[in-house]
Amino acid sequence: MRFLAIIISLLAFLLSACTQKDQNRPGCGDCHTALEHVSAAHDDCVTCHGGDPRATDKKRAHASLRGPANPSAPGTWADACGRCHRYQLERVTSTIMQTNAGMIRNIQLTWEGEDGRAYTARGGKHFDANGKPVEYAAVEDLDNLSGELYRKFCSRCHIGSRNAESYASAHASGCAACHFPWNDTATYEGRDTTMKGRGGHSDSHAMTALPDTRVCSRCHNRSGRIAFSYQGLYDGNNGLVPTSGGEGGPVMASGARNLVHIAPDVHCAAGMECIDCHTSRDVMGDGFAYRNMYLQTEISCEDCHGSAGDVPRYREITRENDEALRESKNYRQPATSGMRMIQTAKGRSYSNVFYQAGAIWLQGKRSGKLYRSKVITGTPEHTIAGHGRLECHACHSRTSVQCYGCHTSYDKGKPGMDFIRGEETPGSFSESEDYRMLYPFPLALNQRGRISPVTPGCQTFVTVAEQDGSRSKFEYISKFRGKQQLRFAPFYSHNSGKKAVTCAECHGNPAFLGFGQHVVEGNSIKGTLICERSDSKPLDGFLTMDKGRVKAYSAITREHSRPLNGSEVKRALSVNLCLPCHSKAADPIYRKGLNLRALDDTLHRRLLSR
Amino acid sequence: MILFIVVFCLAEAKTVQAAAENCTVCHKGITPQGRHAALPCLACHLRESATVGNPALADNRAVGCVACHSGHERIFEHAMVVRGGERRFVERSYARVDSGFWLKNCDSCHVQGCLDCHGEGHAIQKPSVEACQSCHKGYYTGWDYSGRAPREDNMRYQRGIEVEGETFLKMLPDVHYRAGMTCGACHSMDSLALGQRSSKQCRDCHTPSQRPVEHRIAAHLQRLECYACHSAWAPQEYGTFFLRFRDSALKEGFDLKPGPSPDYLRSAYLKSQDAPPLGLNAAGRVSPIRPQFIAYYTDIMSARNSGPENILLAAEWRAWFPHTIQRGTVTCEGCHDNPRRFLHEPGSGRIYQLEKDGMQLESFWLQDGQRVINGDFVSASRYLRLSSKSPAYTKAYVEKWKTFLNRVDNSSH
Repeated sequence: MRFLAIIISLLAFLLSACTQKDQNRPGCGDCHTALEHVSAAHDDCVTCHGGDPRATDKKRAHASLRGPANPSAPGTWADACGRCHRYQLERVTSTIMQTNAGMIRNIQLTWEGEDGRAYTARGGKHFDANGKPVEYAAVEDLDNLSGELYRKFCSRCHIGSRNAESYASAHASGCAACHFPWNDTATYEGRDTTMKGRGGHSDSHAMTALPDTRVCSRCHNRSGRIAFSYQGLYDGNNGLVPTSGGEGGPVMASGARNLVHIAPDVHCAAGMECIDCHTSRDVMGDGFAYRNMYLQTEISCEDCHGSAGDVPRYREITRENDEALRESKNYRQPATSGMRMIQTAKGRSYSNVFYQAGAIWLQGKRSGKLYRSKVITGTPEHTIAGHGRLECHACHSRTSVQCYGCHTSYDKGKPGMDFIRGEETPGSFSESEDYRMLYPFPLALNQRGRISPVTPGCQTFVTVAEQDGSRSKFEYISKFRGKQQLRFAPFYSHNSGKKAVTCAECHGNPAFLGFGQHVVEGNSIKGTLICERSDSKPLDGFLTMDKGRVKAYSAITREHSRPLNGSEVKRALSVNLCLPCHSKAADPIYRKGLNLRALDDTLHRRLLSR
Repeated sequence: MILFIVVFCLAEAKTVQAAAENCTVCHKGITPQGRHAALPCLACHLRESATVGNPALADNRAVGCVACHSGHERIFEHAMVVRGGERRFVERSYARVDSGFWLKNCDSCHVQGCLDCHGEGHAIQKPSVEACQSCHKGYYTGWDYSGRAPREDNMRYQRGIEVEGETFLKMLPDVHYRAGMTCGACHSMDSLALGQRSSKQCRDCHTPSQRPVEHRIAAHLQRLECYACHSAWAPQEYGTFFLRFRDSALKEGFDLKPGPSPDYLRSAYLKSQDAPPLGLNAAGRVSPIRPQFIAYYTDIMSARNSGPENILLAAEWRAWFPHTIQRGTVTCEGCHDNPRRFLHEPGSGRIYQLEKDGMQLESFWLQDGQRVINGDFVSASRYLRLSSKSPAYTKAYVEKWKTFLNRVDNSSH
């Protein structure tokens, strides 16, 4: 009896599957019997994939497939996704994740690779931030070491290239890179038995309109490692301990790196995901081709939390074609007309952050959960004279990943995979490293003239072995801004905390000013972790003080960026004269510029002579 | 005294030489160098009939040396040969899980005779810094004197300058090293033979000047070791792991620096080289302390069969003297506003989430579950007292920064 029931239910299941198949996937469904629907709106195979659904054998059916497996790849995306989603496609073709213009430009700048031309991963015509036509050369034609480095190393994390090899970092190319998430082993684990267990495919055929944090983490786990820091993971010393089930652990990432747990970003701990802050224009682009990531990014902390002087701005949805209405269609609670949407730093509406009943609310795009944003405008801690120049994350970063000493070898005698050309060519890169740390972190002026954490970007030492084995370069420090020097780059680690670095910590520890690990000796500040190419220059900093004189050894990349100068260092350290008594940031003396002569007035002299 | 002994030996040597030796008939081309060059063979090798092949061995209590260097054989009763501290540590930690651990991992560094330190064969000399550092390297005090700190264990970090096949992070060397002083300047042979750590204390040579404001604070001079402030940096290893491989094929994927035993690989959760935490040493004075060791163990094969792993065998700290002395120090808040430095880390400032990774400690910078093996931690109440901003502290603090800032230029270079 029980057996019969099983047979009946099985038959019923098969019948229902067939009905579904017949309706939506004529032909294809004969083999791909249980392949997931992409989404309710994407219910037919051929529109996206092409192919011949009437053919009865696999070969002919697949002959005209786009992709073949991934029609959203750049070669075919115009005919696949782009037929319906032209607006999105046109943005994505010029987004920084597709052009990689910033990555390539930075490598050119720091590897002596400038040749007067601007490159992108594939080259092509775009519009620059001012709306003017601009043409980029293809990085394939960047015929020097910087081009090689991009093509053989950095291009792995380019949404235009598929990466099916890297554990926990595999992704498709094109739209599918984000919208068809791959699992750690890049294996299809869905219901379709034809595809089950096959490598180089998404975890399932179901599309995700709203990618989760793990999707971003597949790429944003190197260099600045922001996706790791955000989630409270750190690939520090690669010690592979503590072990997990007798393997390296506790969590493994691509490149045989192990991750340990650190305190996550306060937003992550609350349940927010990457896309809850980052707008689709941040990620998919806004139609203009930007030179660097920081020019494309349109959001800032102040958008939701306010700045010292200005509360967050909002704009009411009054038109039916408002971006926020379209963008929020897949959210639990789509935006509606009349809602007051908070504005990004570029003055565009967030689709999930709004002003209501005197408060600012953020809706988790995937979860629908509401978060109330705390506005700091006017609070004494945030109106300290002189702190107007600070980025929020100068104080509110819990940690900031710093990788010191990136020793890169290029061996012309060995072949290396060129991921842009899709073939092995002579020349292979390998890397070794000196030291990594999280805290404290140095501060310097960023491209906005504001004080921001900076991280090595990069401290590259290049060794080149020619084909005959001879070394044409050994631990070479390349020229930047006309002289041989290492570089730091302004950086937001994405490991923010509610609690800020305290006043005494930052002002009393010269490491925050860029001196690295150090000792204070008379009126000198000496680094204790030394660059091995020098006798006294700090590896983990860029300043020294020699008999009262501040010297800077490294550049800060990005326009207008620089280390703090002597008078700024002196000013920052002078606050220590007030801090032991005026220890709270809310103390009224910090509302106006410090008057250090006050220390000599009667009151202070009396207090200090007790 | 030493001069007297040497003169005496040389005088006696002359007498022996007068009797003429037959050794060089067979042992051609051996020409002793240095102080011992003028000695006849039998001054050290004792008798022609029963020659002592190696007269400088611990096993024979340096029978050939002690005729002149009397009493120095007592060095064989002390730490460098006996290694009691290390043995006892292994007994209470790793030996609990592997009785052969000591022989596998700890047997490569111990003194076997005078010549381990005093040069080679017939070129006997005073030990150079390098000679001491052939054992006193890595995490063990000695390397730091020349500005070397251990690198991370993953092969990715095993790069850069090498000395004796070992890589290191380049750090600021000790001020005494930069002045050309060798280890022996403070660690005389006599003191080592007596089992003492050193022959010189800081204040045997240095009288603290009253000029730096820190030296005018009575508590600093009474309760702190000089090197609590003047050790500029120190190697610290947080979470030492010994991974046991019963089958070397299991090592695949563990790209770690090979150690002395094929059965083991060593790794660490975190290494740092900044100013070390402070605690109390055996004399009750404030001193640098460091983990030695917070010891974990994983038997890889057993762990792969669902056995236990990352077993915490010890969480021990030691008060010690990092050989990284500088004239300078960290700033006042490096200690007085730094609860982490005394292992009183507040939860709000915690970065590493050990419990999430099954490390069986809440934090390395919390005293709970840990102990100082040769001293103590600074209690919470004492830390509160020392970090309170008393009028005396404020006054000294302001003076310190004023003196410093008055000598800082506004310009940059």
